[in-house]
Amino acid sequence: MKKNKNIRMILLFLVPVAFLYISFFIYPLAFVLGTSLTEWNGITEMKFAGIDNYKKLLTDETFLLSIKNNIIWALSGGFIQIPLATMVALILARKPKGWKTLRTIYFLPNIISAVAIAMMWKAIYNPMYGFLNAFLNLFGIEGHNWLGETATALPSVIAQTVLYIGYFMVIIFAATTTIPKSFYEAAEIDGCTTLQQEWFITIPMIRGILVTTITLAMAYGMRHFEATFLMTSGGPAHSTSVMGLILYNKMDAFRLGEANATGTILILLGTVVIVVIRKLLSGRDAGSDSVQ
Amino acid sequence: MKVFLNTLKWIILIFFLFVALYPLIWLLLASFKANNLELQQNPFGFPEKWMFINYYNAMVKAKLPSLFIHSIIVAFSAVFLNLLVASMTSFVISREDFKGKNVLLTVIAAGILLPIISFMVPYFTIIQKMRLYDSLLALIIVYSAINIPISVFLLTSFMGSIPVELEEAATIDGAGFVQRFTKVIIPLSQTGLATAGTFCFIYSWNEFIMALLLTSSESSRTLQLGIRFFTSQFVTDYTAMYAAIVITIIPSIVVYFIFHNKIISGLTAGAVKG
Repeated sequence: MKKNKNIRMILLFLVPVAFLYISFFIYPLAFVLGTSLTEWNGITEMKFAGIDNYKKLLTDETFLLSIKNNIIWALSGGFIQIPLATMVALILARKPKGWKTLRTIYFLPNIISAVAIAMMWKAIYNPMYGFLNAFLNLFGIEGHNWLGETATALPSVIAQTVLYIGYFMVIIFAATTTIPKSFYEAAEIDGCTTLQQEWFITIPMIRGILVTTITLAMAYGMRHFEATFLMTSGGPAHSTSVMGLILYNKMDAFRLGEANATGTILILLGTVVIVVIRKLLSGRDAGSDSVQ
Repeated sequence: MKVFLNTLKWIILIFFLFVALYPLIWLLLASFKANNLELQQNPFGFPEKWMFINYYNAMVKAKLPSLFIHSIIVAFSAVFLNLLVASMTSFVISREDFKGKNVLLTVIAAGILLPIISFMVPYFTIIQKMRLYDSLLALIIVYSAINIPISVFLLTSFMGSIPVELEEAATIDGAGFVQRFTKVIIPLSQTGLATAGTFCFIYSWNEFIMALLLTSSESSRTLQLGIRFFTSQFVTDYTAMYAAIVITIIPSIVVYFIFHNKIISGLTAGAVKG
């Protein structure tokens, strides 16, 4: 590449992004990794502590339960939310009546704040005034204190997120529009049913985007925090706790070294999920992968 | 079989329509009901009397007007700062040749994959060092920074598709580096800017955790924080609480119905590229 005569202007244009990106991505990443090896309360001097924070975390039952819950979140995202989103995307891809309106409405909850959504669902799950129990009572089914019982709390918080399929549905839908119509016409002539067409043409053709969305949904599951914080704060009896919540609580208690060790584990596990899932899902019979 | 599949199809579509819409409708109706007793006795129907007073109570008790102004200031400033920085970056990456520009783009876009919640401690430390703790400016800077990766990702691909002839013509007419940016690329990137800006707006309007972390007083409280404080303070007055939630949702819905095509095409652009 020859030297660009505008190189000074180019560098000048990159100064703002360098400032923001270094301050809010690179430095924080190095900071979290580095201070995870210290004992630090934010006021007195940091003390090097080796891997003490990690030892402490990995022998703490609540933390291990939180990792387990994050994995349940990730699996629900990847293997419940994405299949549901795919199903709806494939139906909409055949352009039934009103598909554009449906697509717009399915996406709507994604633009509403986590706080509003969480408060709304807290209201829905409310044992006294909520709509879910009132609805179940119509059929003579006994209600629950959905967020207050250890058996129902985690599934209730997860359902609140997983049933909102709009974001991934729009992405998967977009991928289906790149498949040539002639494929389906040919299959039709050969006598393939609609379901066969979806299974043998659409799914293989959008495989790349399915892998991407499953990876994303699982990565979001590993870093899940907001809805749990707002709806249950990890309770009852830590049954809904997640890593992000532990991080927040450690920070709140000025155990900053431990908080950052939690952050490091969160980043590492998130990266592992992204790498492993991509390997697992795209490794298998990659030869038939014609798209992506 | 055909009839069965067709029925099943509509059951699925209507189920998800219900999931997406009904809770919002239920919340809206509940926010107009008289009191907790009516919520219990009449959980699904229209309110017996439409209690607009709930909205007045929510406005006054939760001080929503001033929080609303804070949120507007934060969201618009964050969008402006984000688009300014991201468009300058995307301009040089997509329209100029220089060593390492692909690495630069990869590094910036990789930021999309980092879990921002793990940065709670460093963000707090940095903002304190910048002496910005408990200010709207702190939120403006943090929100615009967090959205840099996604905006640069969207804008580089958008700007990359602008025909190079237009820039060459401008250069012949005597446009310099800066004029090519301000007079050619920016005006031609309006769709891309609108998409990136909408993403940043929705993020900034809705963000909660960093606001909780980086502010403490009422003078820099945003709407999302206000709702949280309000709902934990007045847990007994459910109807006013619902009214307050509805008030925070309305701006998002308005922005969405103006820009939904841009949002959906923004996601689509990412998907088709894979």
